Amino acid sequence: MANEPKKPAVVLEHVTKKFGRKTVIDDLSFKIYGGEVFGFLGPNGAGKTTTIRMIVGLMRMTRGNIFIQGHSVKGDFRQAMRQVGAIVENPEMYKFLTGYQNLVHYARMIPGISKERIGEVVKLVDLEERINEKVKKYSLGMRQRLGLAQALLHHPSVLILDEPTNGLDPQGIHDLRNYLHDLSRREGVAVIVSSHLLSEMQLMCDRIGIIQKGKLLGVETVSQFMEEGGGKVRFTVNDGAKAAQTVKDKLALNPLTVLTDAFELAIAYEKIPVVVDTLVNGGTRIYGVESVTQSLEDRFLEVTGGKQHD
Amino acid sequence: MTEFFRLIQNENMKIYRRQSAKVMLILLLGLILAAGLIVKTSQPAPKENTHWKQELVQQNQVLEKQQTQVGGNRQAINQIKKTIALNQYRIDHNLKPSGGETLWGFVSGAAGNTVLLISIFTIIVVAGSIASEFDTGTIKLLLIRPVYRTEILLAKYLSSLLFAVLCLVLLFLFSWLIGGLFFGFDGAAEAHLSYTSGVVHQTSWTLAVWKDYLLNGVSLFMMVTVAGLIAAAFRNGGLAIGLSIFMMMGSSIIVTLLSGYSWVKYVLFANLDLTQYASGTPLRSDMTLGFSLVVLAVYYVVIALAGWLFYTRRDIKA
Repeated sequence: MANEPKKPAVVLEHVTKKFGRKTVIDDLSFKIYGGEVFGFLGPNGAGKTTTIRMIVGLMRMTRGNIFIQGHSVKGDFRQAMRQVGAIVENPEMYKFLTGYQNLVHYARMIPGISKERIGEVVKLVDLEERINEKVKKYSLGMRQRLGLAQALLHHPSVLILDEPTNGLDPQGIHDLRNYLHDLSRREGVAVIVSSHLLSEMQLMCDRIGIIQKGKLLGVETVSQFMEEGGGKVRFTVNDGAKAAQTVKDKLALNPLTVLTDAFELAIAYEKIPVVVDTLVNGGTRIYGVESVTQSLEDRFLEVTGGKQHD
Repeated sequence: MTEFFRLIQNENMKIYRRQSAKVMLILLLGLILAAGLIVKTSQPAPKENTHWKQELVQQNQVLEKQQTQVGGNRQAINQIKKTIALNQYRIDHNLKPSGGETLWGFVSGAAGNTVLLISIFTIIVVAGSIASEFDTGTIKLLLIRPVYRTEILLAKYLSSLLFAVLCLVLLFLFSWLIGGLFFGFDGAAEAHLSYTSGVVHQTSWTLAVWKDYLLNGVSLFMMVTVAGLIAAAFRNGGLAIGLSIFMMMGSSIIVTLLSGYSWVKYVLFANLDLTQYASGTPLRSDMTLGFSLVVLAVYYVVIALAGWLFYTRRDIKA
């Protein structure tokens, strides 16, 4: 795998989905490679879930095609699905069956899954003690782990997880993050994650694709994405409003936020001393200067233009 | 093939692990037991009858007279002729009619209504199997496997029909057992007399009872398929159950209302009861067994095809 030229694990080609006349997904094209964790970002109603549903064949494309390890979801559904393990939205399992029976159920649908493999994934998701209880007794976190178990049963080369951290405790999230990293690095699995916990994605993903109103705004690595946001510097001062005015008048810089005892500027690192000098000369007392790293969340809101109104 | 067998295994697991399947099976057995108790307690103990041959001869004489009186009523004449022939057969072959209920009499009597109950149960099962996964959301994890939707739908449909077969086998065995316990196992060897086109045949009761199940099963089979179609089309189990049971119960009323029109023979419900040909009195004189079978086949293909299209073609939004 390592020396071969990278072949994409999942390819979306001009994927379009219309519900009646309404275009929900508009000409989406991108590639996801084995060995990476790909984050799928977008506000609610942007089309994340619809896209995931088309990748796993739950919804038909109006136009375009999706290939999984070279197999068309449209033309070669069986081979394509053989490669995929997924949780779509909530991990809804059969509540009247035990966790183990649920896994047996899914294992029967793919040839070649041994009892040992079922035991393995149960151990992996740490459900050994409760696996013979009915799923209706499970907590959301346990269901999430059982959902992960069913997705991993057949050693998929593409793993799709919709909101995987939902219901997990901090330790569980930490473990999942490490596990997904391992899976992508060691076994070359392409992991696709969607989440509303953007700070989570920052830690989990290698690349992110941002989708809004059914259109792809861009696919970037997490570090690229962050850099483009530029540096933000916070000045803690005696009079925020007055200091902000000084900066505006003397340096023609527009503060991002102004508080009573602080203001924030988007400026390059080298420019900080100039601002400090100007402020001191203007009679402002400075108590602190710190560079604020923009979180993925801020950057996300910036890119998508704030809150989504449906 | 083994792959498909595993799908059936899955659907079976989902049918029988549900509480509702257990309740239905217990209800079925309970009703047979209750029927046995009612028959047992309501009928007087059979008396030893040594004059049965004379009585049958007398009965036949009365019937012969009646036959000339009923005039043109074909159905009544047929019935009288049948009774006379059967009585005569008993006299000729020294087959004593039983004084009261017998094992096979009970098994046969339990057939008709209980098959209707089994139809309702199977409608509930097939509607639940197909539609409930949309309500619970499990349909998503079910359909993202390397298995075509057609196979999954077929597995659901067949496992529901297997549930009906299981119910019929249970009905047979349990009513035989109750019949034997309450009315004596010595009746198990009793011969079944059937009357076709003027001739009396001595056949096996087991065959006769299963023939009865099968004839009643035609309606079961069609209505279960209709329920499957509604469940696949509307993804709503309650609607499928309600609508198909309503149709099944109302079918005789619908047929009666439409019986004045000649096109009633093309209505599904007019062809569901194949016993009309066995008794020699079809709904319309231009209807034959072959005609009904063709009509049923056409309906079946259309219903099954529509259900299949709904299940396999539509997006999963659940």
